[in-house]
Amino acid sequence: MATSSEEVLLIVKKVRHKKQDGALYLMAERVAWTPEGKDRFVISHMYADIRCQKISPEGKAKVQLQLILHTGDTTIFHFTNENIANAPAKDRDAAKDLLQQLLPKFKKKANKELEEKNRMLQEDPVLFQLYKDLVVSQVISAEEFWANRLTGNSMDNSVSNNKQDIGISAAFLADIRPQTDGCNGLRYNLTSDIIESIFRTYPAVKQKYAENVPHDMTEKEFWTRFFQSHYFHRDRINAGSKDLFSECARIDEKGLKTLVSQGVNNPLVDLTSLEDKSLGEGYGSSSAQSSSKSNKESSNAAIIRRFNHHSAMVLAAVLRKQEMHNDQNSENSSTDGNSRDSDFFQPPVKKVKLQEAIEYEDLGEKNSKKTVALNLKKADRYFHGPTPVQSQHYASSQDIINSVHCIRQEMANYNPRLTQVLSSSVASSALTDLSPGGVLMQGGTSQAINQMVPSDVQMELKHLHVAVAELLRHFWSCFPINTPFLEEKVGKMMNNLERFQMTKLRPFREKLQKLYISTNTRLDPESRCPLHKDFNVILQHSSTFMVTTLKTYSSLVI
Amino acid sequence: MCQRRTGVRAGSGGSMAADEDISLLVIVVDVNPVWWGQQILKESTFTLSKCMDAVLVMGNSHLVMSRNNRLAMIASHSQESRFLYPGKQWKTGSFAESSESSSAESSWSGSTDGKYELLAFGNDIVTEEIKDLMAKTEVRAHLTETLLAGSLAKALCYIHKVNKELDASHELKSRILVIQAAEDSAAQYMNVMNIIFAAQKQNILIDACVLDSESGLLQQAADITGGLYLKIPQLLALTQYLLWVFLPDPEQRSQLVLPPHVHVDYRAACFCHRNLIEIGYVCSVCLSIFCNFSPICTTCETAFRIALPPVLKAKKKKPRHPTLNYLAN
Repeated sequence: MATSSEEVLLIVKKVRHKKQDGALYLMAERVAWTPEGKDRFVISHMYADIRCQKISPEGKAKVQLQLILHTGDTTIFHFTNENIANAPAKDRDAAKDLLQQLLPKFKKKANKELEEKNRMLQEDPVLFQLYKDLVVSQVISAEEFWANRLTGNSMDNSVSNNKQDIGISAAFLADIRPQTDGCNGLRYNLTSDIIESIFRTYPAVKQKYAENVPHDMTEKEFWTRFFQSHYFHRDRINAGSKDLFSECARIDEKGLKTLVSQGVNNPLVDLTSLEDKSLGEGYGSSSAQSSSKSNKESSNAAIIRRFNHHSAMVLAAVLRKQEMHNDQNSENSSTDGNSRDSDFFQPPVKKVKLQEAIEYEDLGEKNSKKTVALNLKKADRYFHGPTPVQSQHYASSQDIINSVHCIRQEMANYNPRLTQVLSSSVASSALTDLSPGGVLMQGGTSQAINQMVPSDVQMELKHLHVAVAELLRHFWSCFPINTPFLEEKVGKMMNNLERFQMTKLRPFREKLQKLYISTNTRLDPESRCPLHKDFNVILQHSSTFMVTTLKTYSSLVI
Repeated sequence: MCQRRTGVRAGSGGSMAADEDISLLVIVVDVNPVWWGQQILKESTFTLSKCMDAVLVMGNSHLVMSRNNRLAMIASHSQESRFLYPGKQWKTGSFAESSESSSAESSWSGSTDGKYELLAFGNDIVTEEIKDLMAKTEVRAHLTETLLAGSLAKALCYIHKVNKELDASHELKSRILVIQAAEDSAAQYMNVMNIIFAAQKQNILIDACVLDSESGLLQQAADITGGLYLKIPQLLALTQYLLWVFLPDPEQRSQLVLPPHVHVDYRAACFCHRNLIEIGYVCSVCLSIFCNFSPICTTCETAFRIALPPVLKAKKKKPRHPTLNYLAN
């Protein structure tokens, strides 16, 4: 059933499918066909599922359009409209063109998501393992798995995927070195890079190129003229309007003038003052004498002007590209290196620049943040440690007197006898205490579990642990239960947890028990084998996760 | 001589201390008169004399291990903390005679059994001092606790002083060995904790050898500074334990199989009852710990409002669908 909200882009009548007459409907997201007389869509394919389309060659009697899906299925539509000549072909072409426009849009979207997922799985082996454990073994569905993960990442990546554009070398004109071509001729080697640089720097030249080539003259001719023109050469005296490029020269002049008039938006920089003025003569009040214009000077000025213009154009070319990117985003476009803010922002920028020039941060006053003083009413609580667990041995005063008396007596006669400090039996019993397995060395074996358990078992345990943590995360994120959807999800997660316990934890535990604890016939936890004890502990920990979760859930459910 | 299971050979593994490094060991002996007196009254074979002998053997052994080793001994009494070694008139390594030298020095007759002079002299000094200290013990009913904090503080100051006196070519590695007999004193808790953190900052290890009852303070000290804690099962074998466990340098300890680390109880005490708790409530303003929730912190008098989840009463009208009650039971 076509939903009313779908927008129908094209209807083609008299389309046969499997020898049945009908009509083909092209909608916003799918293509559908309905047989004549019925109003149900018999065939409906989303554009995302269609891999490509094929048409029957021109000249064939049957005008057909074939859709090939990703799964490999094909659907063939036969366009028959006998009444009007060439109608089937036209219909078919119309359908084909529309599909050609629509298919790429959907293809990219589907692919992009898949690509994104694949990339994430490849980059993060832990994630990949988790995916294998949970989704492949059908503990949770793939949508739940990707639910929280896709949203954040795709945004960042699209931004970072913007490649950086290569700028223009300012010396590209110098790279065009002419070579003498025998007699009185010069050979210029133009590579496509140089041509591109010229076009990007001087849009006026690009315009001329677009106008003239290939209609009026060939590329070679255009460039020959370019190099011959005075525009290119040093002395840019306008030699008549016959020259193709004199207009370019005029445009350039205008451009330069506007650049200078714009100036830099920095009140401390004055681009137009070209002379060194010291306050010496006349204390600034005497006007500078305008220098006489000699020919030499004007040609120097011309060269300098050209250099400046060239540099400005090179910079502008890069920024022009940025401008096109940012056009949608901001109104304030930056051109020619100046941040040309709208008038609204003008005063603050000036102020900021002035402030920057005047103030030095490290000479200013340090503003420490105002803090609130801590007001403690009972500060002595901090000064006492915990009370000892065992009650202190209380000695009565008589005991004390006796003890002191005794010790004084004893130490009065103290004579160190260092050769009789230790007997060998006592020493050897102390040594047995200190040897591995002795009384004092008990805790040491727990370190060895690392080496005793093979690494693949450790890895598996780690994976299980990560998987359980992931499931629990889904579970706990449902709380507090506000909507029936969450209630349902909680129920599902409960089932998932139970299923996980059945499919993964129990077999693992049994495997461990079979492999490593089989030698011990008495499988009680008090057994001497520390390995068994530790394994039990490990397995218990993982299952207590689940048990406490299940208990909590059951206590909360009404 | 006892045999080591894993011998420490010159040049094998680890880093041998450079010849210029000076290793200073400060031994703090708990000579609590009440405890030791009661040992006599209990007719135990292990008395303060035996303990002092063991400590002297330990000190001598340390000095003998290397020419660059140094020793200091502090007796931690209930009335004072006194340096047993080096003595007051002792100038390091020299038999300096000053005009005011005490009678003990000037009349010292030298070693009687062919022992290394330094050791003989040192032993004599310690003996004299300890005798003097114990003879001056007074009976004070309310002061029966060992002044451990003071002794440790003196040890730290001594180490600092020695460090300052060294010239630049020598590096001082120091550690403190505490031999504790009596119990921890709760009143000294804060001071001892401060000492522990000061030692940690100075990279001074605190080893602990406990004779009678487990000491939480010394466990923490050993854990925080990287030293060893050991409670001795057989008191008579004190010498053996000292030589086996506490004599090696910290660098050599990694090559040896020594008693493993003890699990230390780091639980905090709640401010209201001073019970040790595992889970509690902490005021975010003054960081005081409570075992029960109260809306006003009693230390800094900040009022806290915790938003409890909304309690929905079941509607008395016709029941549509049951509302969920969020309060956990």
